[in-house]
Amino acid sequence: MDSWYPRMAKPWDSWGMLACLCTVLWHLPAVPALNRTGDLGPGPSIQKTYDLTRYLEHQLRSLAGTYLNYLGPPFNEPDFNPPRLGAETLPRATVDLEVWRSLNDKLRLTQNYEAYSHLLCYLRGLNRQAATAELRRSLAHFCTSLQGLLGSIAGVMAALGYPLPQPLPGTEPTWTPGPAHSDFLQKMDDFWLLKELQTWLWRSAKDFNRLKKKMQPPAAAVTLHLGAHGF
Amino acid sequence: MALFEVFQTTFFLTLLSLRTYQSEVLAERVPLTPVSLKVSTNSARQSLHLQWTVQNLPYHQELKMVFQIQISRIETSNVIWVGNYSTTVKWNQVLHWSWESELPLECATHFVRIKSVVDDARFPEPNFWSNWSSWEEVSGKETSTERLKKPCKVTTPLSVQDSLGQDILFVFPKDKLVEEGANVTICYISRNIQNNVSCYWEGKQIYGEQLDPHVSVFHLSSVPFIRKTGADMYCEVSQGNVSTSIKGIVLFVSKVLEEPKDFSCETRDFKTLHCTWDPGVDTALGWSKQPSQSYTLFESFSGEKKLCTHQNWCNWQITQDSQETYNFTLIAENYLRKRSVNILFNLTHQVYPMNPFSVNFENVNATNAIMTWKVYSVKNNFTYLCQIEVYCEGKMKQQYNVSIKMNGEYFLSDLEPFTEYMARVRCAGASHFWKWSQWSGQNFTTLEAAPSEAPDVWRNVNSEPGSHIVTLFWKPLSKLHANGKILFYNVVVENLDKPSKSELHSVPAPAKSTKLTLDRHSYEIWVTANNSVGASPASIIVISADPENQEVEEERIADTEGRFSLSWKPQPGDVVGYVVDWCDHPQYTLCDLQWKNVGPNATSTVISTDAFRPGVRYNFRIYGLSTKRIACLLEKKTGYSQELAPSDNPHMLVDKLTSHSFTLSWKYYSTESQPGFIQGYHVYLKSKARQCHPRFERAVLTDGSECCKYKIDNPEEKALIVDNLKPKSVYEIFVTPFTSAGEGPNATFTKVTTPDEHSSMLIYILLPMSFCVLLIMIGCYLKSQWIKETCYPDIPDPYKSSILSLIKFKEKPHLTIMNVSDCIPDAIEVVSKPEGTKIQFRKSLTETELTKPNYLYLLPTEKNHSGPVPFICFENLTYNQATSDSGSCGHVPVPMKPPPSQLGLMISPENVKKALGKNYMNSLGEISAGGTNLNYVSQLASPMSGDKDSLPTNPVEPSNCSEYKRQMAVPLCLASPPLTENSSLSSITLLNPGEHYR
Repeated sequence: MDSWYPRMAKPWDSWGMLACLCTVLWHLPAVPALNRTGDLGPGPSIQKTYDLTRYLEHQLRSLAGTYLNYLGPPFNEPDFNPPRLGAETLPRATVDLEVWRSLNDKLRLTQNYEAYSHLLCYLRGLNRQAATAELRRSLAHFCTSLQGLLGSIAGVMAALGYPLPQPLPGTEPTWTPGPAHSDFLQKMDDFWLLKELQTWLWRSAKDFNRLKKKMQPPAAAVTLHLGAHGF
Repeated sequence: MALFEVFQTTFFLTLLSLRTYQSEVLAERVPLTPVSLKVSTNSARQSLHLQWTVQNLPYHQELKMVFQIQISRIETSNVIWVGNYSTTVKWNQVLHWSWESELPLECATHFVRIKSVVDDARFPEPNFWSNWSSWEEVSGKETSTERLKKPCKVTTPLSVQDSLGQDILFVFPKDKLVEEGANVTICYISRNIQNNVSCYWEGKQIYGEQLDPHVSVFHLSSVPFIRKTGADMYCEVSQGNVSTSIKGIVLFVSKVLEEPKDFSCETRDFKTLHCTWDPGVDTALGWSKQPSQSYTLFESFSGEKKLCTHQNWCNWQITQDSQETYNFTLIAENYLRKRSVNILFNLTHQVYPMNPFSVNFENVNATNAIMTWKVYSVKNNFTYLCQIEVYCEGKMKQQYNVSIKMNGEYFLSDLEPFTEYMARVRCAGASHFWKWSQWSGQNFTTLEAAPSEAPDVWRNVNSEPGSHIVTLFWKPLSKLHANGKILFYNVVVENLDKPSKSELHSVPAPAKSTKLTLDRHSYEIWVTANNSVGASPASIIVISADPENQEVEEERIADTEGRFSLSWKPQPGDVVGYVVDWCDHPQYTLCDLQWKNVGPNATSTVISTDAFRPGVRYNFRIYGLSTKRIACLLEKKTGYSQELAPSDNPHMLVDKLTSHSFTLSWKYYSTESQPGFIQGYHVYLKSKARQCHPRFERAVLTDGSECCKYKIDNPEEKALIVDNLKPKSVYEIFVTPFTSAGEGPNATFTKVTTPDEHSSMLIYILLPMSFCVLLIMIGCYLKSQWIKETCYPDIPDPYKSSILSLIKFKEKPHLTIMNVSDCIPDAIEVVSKPEGTKIQFRKSLTETELTKPNYLYLLPTEKNHSGPVPFICFENLTYNQATSDSGSCGHVPVPMKPPPSQLGLMISPENVKKALGKNYMNSLGEISAGGTNLNYVSQLASPMSGDKDSLPTNPVEPSNCSEYKRQMAVPLCLASPPLTENSSLSSITLLNPGEHYR
C-alpha cells in the first residue's frame, strides 16, 4: 500500500532529477531510435499487412467452405487430403523451416509478392467460372481484398527500398483450363488453389510477424542508453 | 418378213445383253469384299467410327448390300456385338458407320471386322457372304500405356494419349455429360495390379467388376441430377493411409429437357405476334458444360426462323398483311436433346385487344346513365365484343355484353338514386374469342330522388301532471331508401281529441330524436324525412291521452350470452305489430334507446346486438301497436347478456353482540345495481373451534384456509344471527353475495370478539349503580346550598355544634355565643409563599428591611394599636409547617408571624392574577412548586408554634387577637379583578401549595 503514496522528493533529489532531465534532453538527438522525426518507418505498414493477412485468413475460411460445397464431394469433405497432383503452377507455400528462417527480408517479401500475384490471377479465373451470382460476389470481394494485400506488400517493399519483382515475359500466370484438362482435375486445381492460398496466408502472417519484430524500434536499447545517463 | 427379222434381231440382242450382265455379276460375286476398313474412336461419344470401301464393284453401278459388323472386346473371340448395316453402294464409295460403346473405349481393346453380301432384287438368291475382313484393333489399356512408347496403329484422339502420361492410375471416361436417368459405365485402369485402388461415387465407396487384372468397371444406373457442377467419381491409390495417386471424373448429369408448355401466340395490334410458353426446368450446367436450353421459333408457311433471346417469350414481326394463318414450331434444344411444339392459328383468332379508353358517362340522372368508350382500330371491320360491369360498393350489380366496332355506347338503367357506381368495360375479338383486354373503368354518381320509405319512428312517453313529455326517436334512413342526403325531419303533431291546427316541427338532420310536450289529449304524430328532392312517406304514431300502463310486472330472463330471447303473450284484439324497446347503455343518462319492430303474428323475438356487455342489466319493454297506432305496454323483461359475479360486498354491521351471539346485517346493500341477479349470500365464519356451528358447513377458501359457510338463498334477507358462540372468543366473519356467475370479490374478514359472560352481568349491576350515583350527584348539585349549610357551612353555627350540645347537656344550660356580626374586621393578612422564590425572598428580605408586619389595616383610625383591642386578623401560615402537616383546617395553633417581605410584589395586580390563573388551571395534584394558593387560617392559631422557615422579622404579637378570627376564601374565579394595595377585600391568603401539601 505504501507504494501508492507519492513520496516527497528531497531537495537534493529534485536538483538531481532536473540535472538528469537536462542531460537527457541534450542527448536525445543522439538516440538513433528517436532520430527519425516524422518518419515511422515500415513498421506500421508491416503491421497493417500482418492484420490484412489475418483478416483474409478469416475471410477465406467462409469463402472456401462455400466454394468447396459448390464443388461437391469429395472436395467439401473435411478429411479429403489428396496428393498434390497437377496444380504445379501454383506457388507452394510450404517450405523447410530452416530455409524459411534463413530467408532475408527481400527474398521473403518477394516470395510473398510473387505468390499472391499468381494466386490472385488464378482466383480471378475461379471467379469467371463460378456458376452462382452469390459465389461470384464473394470471390470478387475476396479478390479485391487480396489485391489490397498485394498492394500492402508492395508498400512494405517500397518502404524498405526493395524493387518489385518483374514477371518474366511469357511467364504471366493465366487461367486457361485447356482442352486436355479434365473437369475433375480442374476441380482439384481449385481445391489446391484454395488450400495453397490458406497456407500462404498462414505463412504470410508468420513472415510479417517476423518482419514486424525485426523492424520494431530497439526500445530496450533506448532504455539502456538513457540508463547510462544516470537513470 | 422384214418386221420378223427386226424382232428376231432385237430379241437376240436383249438376250445377249442379259447374259452378258449375268455373267459379269456372277463373276464379281466372290470379290465383293469390304476393304480398307479403318476404325477411329470418338472418346467423348465413346463411339467407334468405321469406314471402308467395297472392292470389285462394277463401274458406275449401284448395288444394295448388307454389311455385317462384328465387335469383340479384349480378345477377338469375345464378340460383344454383331449387327447388319444395309445400304446402297456405289462404285468407289467410302462407307461410314458408327457404333457407340457403353464402356469407355479406353477401358479395353476392341476388335472390329466386317463382311458383306449383295442384297439386290436384281440378283435373286442364292447370295453369298463375303469373307470377313481382318480384325481391326482399337486398343484401350494397351494403347493407354504402351502408346507412349510405340506409334498407334489406329487413329485415336490426342486427348486420350495426352491424359495418360506416366501416371499409375487412369479413370475413364473423361468428364461426361449425360441426361438424368442414364446408365453410365466407368472404369479405372491401374498400371500395377498390386496397387490398392479404392473408388468413390459422391463420397461413398463403390465396388466394380474386374474386366481384367488392370481394369475394373463400375456401372452407375439411372444417375440422378445432383448439382450443376456435376457429380464426382474418383479412385485413389493408397499406400497405408496415404493417398499416392488420385484420378476422377466429373459426371455432369443434365435434367431432362422438357417440352415447352402452354405455347401460344397472340397479337394486340396486328403488327407483332407475341409468343409465350412455359419453359419448364432449366437444364443449364456449371463449368459451361451445358448452357440453358435455347428456343427457336420457326414459321413453316413463310419458312422464317428466329432464335429467341428469352427463355419464355419471343416476339415475331408480322411482315405480310396478307398472311392470316401461321404455323409455328417452337424448338427447345440443349446438348443432349431437342424438343418441339407446334401451333397453327388464324391471326384474327388470336387477338388480345388493347384496353378500351375514354370511358365516360352521359345523361346521368337518378336511375340511369349512358356509358360511352372507345377501342383502338386495329383492322378494318374488326368487331369487338365488349363486356360492361357495374359495381356499387364493391359488389357487382349489373353485367352486359355488347358488340361494337370502334365506339362503344350502352344505356345503364335500374340504377339507385344518389349512389356512386363504378362501371368498367373490357373487350375481346367478337368473331373468335381469344382473350379479354384489361378493364377500363370510371366512377359516376346518380342524382338524388325523394326518400322512398318512411322513417322508423318510436317514442318514449313520460307522464307528468297535466302533460306528456313525448320523446320521438327515429332511425336514419338507409342509403337505399334515403335516395340522397337527408336534410331535415318534419314532425307534424295533430290533436285527435279536439280540432286544432296541426303543429309542424322541423328537426334538422342528423338529429335522431326530438322532445314534445303535449297536454293530456290524444295526438297523432307524422314524421317524414326530407332531402333536396322531396319528402319520404310519413311514419305515423299516436300518443294516447291515457298515461302509459306502468303496472306491468317485470320478468327476469335467463343468461343468453349476448342474445336475448323474448317472448310475450299475444295482445287480444287487432294489432298491427309489436315493438320491443330497450337501452343499449342503461347505465348512462343518455341510454341510447333502441327498438325493434316485430310483425303482428310474432310472439317472440331475439334481440342481439354488439352493444350488449356482460354484467349490465338490460330492461326490455314489449309494446303492442293497435290498429290506431297506439302503443300499449304489454310486458317488461330484464336480464343480463352475461351475468357476472358481484362487484362488491355488502357493508356489514355487527350488533347485538353478546357472549354467545351477535347479529350481522347489511340492509343497505343494493341488489339491483349488481352485474348479475343476486341469488343470496354466503356468510363465512372463521373461529378457533374445529367444528362448524349448526347450519354452517365447512368450506375451503381460495387461499386454502378452512372456514364455515352459511348460505342465505334469499337476496332480500340481509341479516343473520350468529349464535352458539363461545364467550370471550374471536370470530372472523365475511359476507359476500353470489350470482349465477359466482361470489363477490375476496375481502378481509371482520373480527368480532364475544364478551366475557360475566361482564354482561357486571354491566347489569354497574349501569343501575352509575345511574344512582348520577342521580345523587344531580341531587347534590341541586341541593348543594342546603348540603353546604347542613354539612360544612362556611361559618359553623355554634348553636348547631355537637360540642355545644354536649356542653349544654353536661355543663351549662345557658351559653352565650358571640355573633359574627358583632366582630368588626380591622385587617386582612395576605400571605404568599411561592416555593421557587423562597431563596430570593430570603435574600430580598435580608436586603429589604421590613420592620413592619404586612398587615393591611382596614381601620385607618387604629393605625398604631398598642393596646389589646379586639380584632380579627388573618395570619400568614405560609411558614407554618405544622399547620400543613396537621391536615386539619383549624384548631391548630399557628404562630403569629410577620408577613413576607415581598408582599408588595405579590399583591401587585399582575402577580396575583398570574398566580391565581396558574392555580385555576392546575388540579390539585399538578400544582406547581412555585404556585400560590389560598388557605383558610384558623383564628385559634397558637402563637407558640414555631416555624423553621420563619424569617427574622418582628413578629406581631398575637396577644391582642380575639379567640376567633374570621375566615374567608377567595374563589379562584374571583381572582381576576386586579388586586391593589387598596383593594377592599376582607382577607386574602396566598399560599404555596407545595408547602401546603407537603
